[in-house]
Amino acid sequence: MYAKSLLFTTALLPAVAMAGHAEEGWPEPVKEYYTEQVLFDRLELTRTDEEENVAVWDMMAWYGGDYHRFVFKSEGENIQDDGEPTDLERAELLYGYLMSPFWSFQAGVGTRGSLSSNASMENYAVVSFMGLAPYWFEMDNSLMVNEEGDVQFVSETEYEWQLTQTSYLQPRIEFTANLTDSDKYERQSGLSNLRVGLRYRHEISRELAPYIGVYWNGALGNTADEMKRMGEDTTETGVVLGARVWF
Amino acid sequence: MSNEFNKGRRKFIKSAFTMASALAIAKVAPTWAAPQGRSFKDQILTNDEIDLTIAKSPLLVGNKVGTPITINGQMPGPLIRLKEGQRAKLNVTNRLSEDTSIHWHGIILPENMDGVPGVSFEGIKPGRTFKYRYDVEQNGTYWYHSHSGLQEQLGHLGPLVIEPKDGDIGADREHTIILSDWTFEDPDTVFRNLKVAEGYYNYQKRTIFETFEDVRQQGLEKTWKQREMWGQMRMSPRDIADVTGSTYTYLMNGRDSAMNWSALFKPGEKVRLRIINGSAMSYFDVRIPGLEMTVVAADGQPVKPVSIDEFRIGVAETYDVIVQPKHNKAYTIFAESFDRSGYVRGTLTPEIGLEAEVPELRAVPERGMAAMGMGAMAMSGNKEEKGMMNMSGTDGHMNHEMMHKKELPVENIKIEHSEGGHGAAAAMIAMNPTSRLHEPGIGLDNVDHRVLVYSDLIGAQEWPDKREPERQIELHLTGNMERYMWSFDGKNYTEVDGPVQFRHGERLRLVMVNDTMMDHPIHLHGMWMELENGQYPRPRKHTISLKPSEKVSLLISADAPGSWAFHCHLLYHMKAGMFRVVNVA
Repeated sequence: MYAKSLLFTTALLPAVAMAGHAEEGWPEPVKEYYTEQVLFDRLELTRTDEEENVAVWDMMAWYGGDYHRFVFKSEGENIQDDGEPTDLERAELLYGYLMSPFWSFQAGVGTRGSLSSNASMENYAVVSFMGLAPYWFEMDNSLMVNEEGDVQFVSETEYEWQLTQTSYLQPRIEFTANLTDSDKYERQSGLSNLRVGLRYRHEISRELAPYIGVYWNGALGNTADEMKRMGEDTTETGVVLGARVWF
Repeated sequence: MSNEFNKGRRKFIKSAFTMASALAIAKVAPTWAAPQGRSFKDQILTNDEIDLTIAKSPLLVGNKVGTPITINGQMPGPLIRLKEGQRAKLNVTNRLSEDTSIHWHGIILPENMDGVPGVSFEGIKPGRTFKYRYDVEQNGTYWYHSHSGLQEQLGHLGPLVIEPKDGDIGADREHTIILSDWTFEDPDTVFRNLKVAEGYYNYQKRTIFETFEDVRQQGLEKTWKQREMWGQMRMSPRDIADVTGSTYTYLMNGRDSAMNWSALFKPGEKVRLRIINGSAMSYFDVRIPGLEMTVVAADGQPVKPVSIDEFRIGVAETYDVIVQPKHNKAYTIFAESFDRSGYVRGTLTPEIGLEAEVPELRAVPERGMAAMGMGAMAMSGNKEEKGMMNMSGTDGHMNHEMMHKKELPVENIKIEHSEGGHGAAAAMIAMNPTSRLHEPGIGLDNVDHRVLVYSDLIGAQEWPDKREPERQIELHLTGNMERYMWSFDGKNYTEVDGPVQFRHGERLRLVMVNDTMMDHPIHLHGMWMELENGQYPRPRKHTISLKPSEKVSLLISADAPGSWAFHCHLLYHMKAGMFRVVNVA
């Protein structure tokens, strides 16, 4: 971690400007500040209405200063005891730039797919607008283009109602839209998926906050039609037990 | 109930200390802060040449052992008493494992003695001694503190009193009180918490139930209107202090409320209290229930006496007040953090061991429309918004005094924001900044006693430079809470390519505009700032506190050649880059 920090620091250092008068060898009175954070927004066990147990993670890590940051995002799930490998929904390495007080623009590359040795991963380029919308809606909007040229848009929004000084009710909404059909990845164009959730979170400390919650997940549009044709269930509900953790 | 509990707890702690060894008690607090109640003249450093040793040592802070930075074994450091006209000889030895420094806050001295690493000198390396030498040409109440990293948060600070040439302090006795905020957390951790988790230390946020209650009491429409603007701006009206009583133990002369720092008086005596806010981040509201206070000096400089019941002291400011307790009973000196998340009390008493009732913390205040620069004038021409002004916002009321008082120079200065605001570094710009010198500040508007305001301050004497300003410099205070970015004109120190240039000998007007939702104590090293508050002689200050969306103007005689620090004195704002070098040449 230290070596990585050092590397990033060097990469991020702009031409050092002499803002004051100082003699050679004197320290700068104020230095640039870089830090890092690892945040598991969701680290949870899900019990679906199909009576499956699913381990889910949704995390972000970053290193950088006020304007420039390297960001790593990862999200995925593993259905317990089904013998199937973990499903990596996204793993992205991005460069982020703070463009306005509440919004950063991020661009980078990602990969996703089944985490088994023989599966081929879907690699893609991604740009995101991540930030805080008026009325404190926390958003992450991503546009992905894979090697086949398939375009997908994913939007996540969270809101927090402050119940007490250490507990929150958090609605969450996530939708996926395919801008193109994809034969290789069996995606139908149009709005394809909607997932809504509600979590009650209690902070043991600012850094560690367990929660319980419920969610509803549904396929939409052409995607739902296709699933129906295959005889699959287009909706899923479940309860979750997890924690929001950062360090 | 909690009050009962606290009282019980206090008693317990107190008796626990009584049982502790005399040695342990002696190690608790500096000797000058010990409650002998005499003037401190016989307990303080008054030698012609003074040696100060900076070290880290375990010390009881409140009821727990911490590891503050001590000066001659004490935290806060010893009271240094100098005499106007003497040559100060202060030898500072660094026994830390990192560089250190001492800045003599408010003292006019040569640039190489000002003690700011990287601006006035290179700092004091571990094991080395730096010899500060300067002529003392002023008197009054000042203080000293480290200007290296976050050392100030670890208690690297102390009081500095300069006796007037004639020795007349205008009172029968005096006590020096330095207020500070202590945390058992590592200051670097505190800073990182602020950087990565907005609102980390704020445990006074608005809850959904309070909103429900507002809807029930005043209807949905009015509640929505109150909340709407805050929601659009993504800011909280309860965002008052960045670091709060949730981590801080507030100290008076190094002692917490339970230890009850006490000072003696004889009934009928005039007692001069020299009060210094040596906090890293905390503004205090100070009062002594049952006693009128007469302010006689601000930032060490004499002002015409103003009688008040309470005053707000910004970080790094000092006020001298005279009290004259007539009765043979104890009085509580109550210093309440301005976000009401905690307090520290001490006692003014005719005999040791007495204590008086300790007031309860007042309700958490909320910022009103004025904080957004939407006070009185901003509303003109917009009927709908004009209605919003009548909301119950606590610091947004327009008072009549404002309509009748004489016009200040700053009121005719048109404020220009840089194009497109100040970039991502500024989450807001004050839409219509106003002069707020006549306002006591958030949480004090509706109290039923007299509170000191800046417009009350009148210099006790004329200052030598009576020229009109030839030039004007405008600086905006900017910030973005989300990433804890603090800056001037949208740029932190590391982003600017040169110092702010003053021409040696010029008289200039510094106009500052607070484009943030927080109060900021802005400190200029090396030169006085005369506050244009409509009074003459103007009061002069080393540290001026700006309320949200306030504009102020100050006159400066650029008579001190060299490089000087200019910064927000909230320690973590300075660390974030709300800092400039002023070069006088």
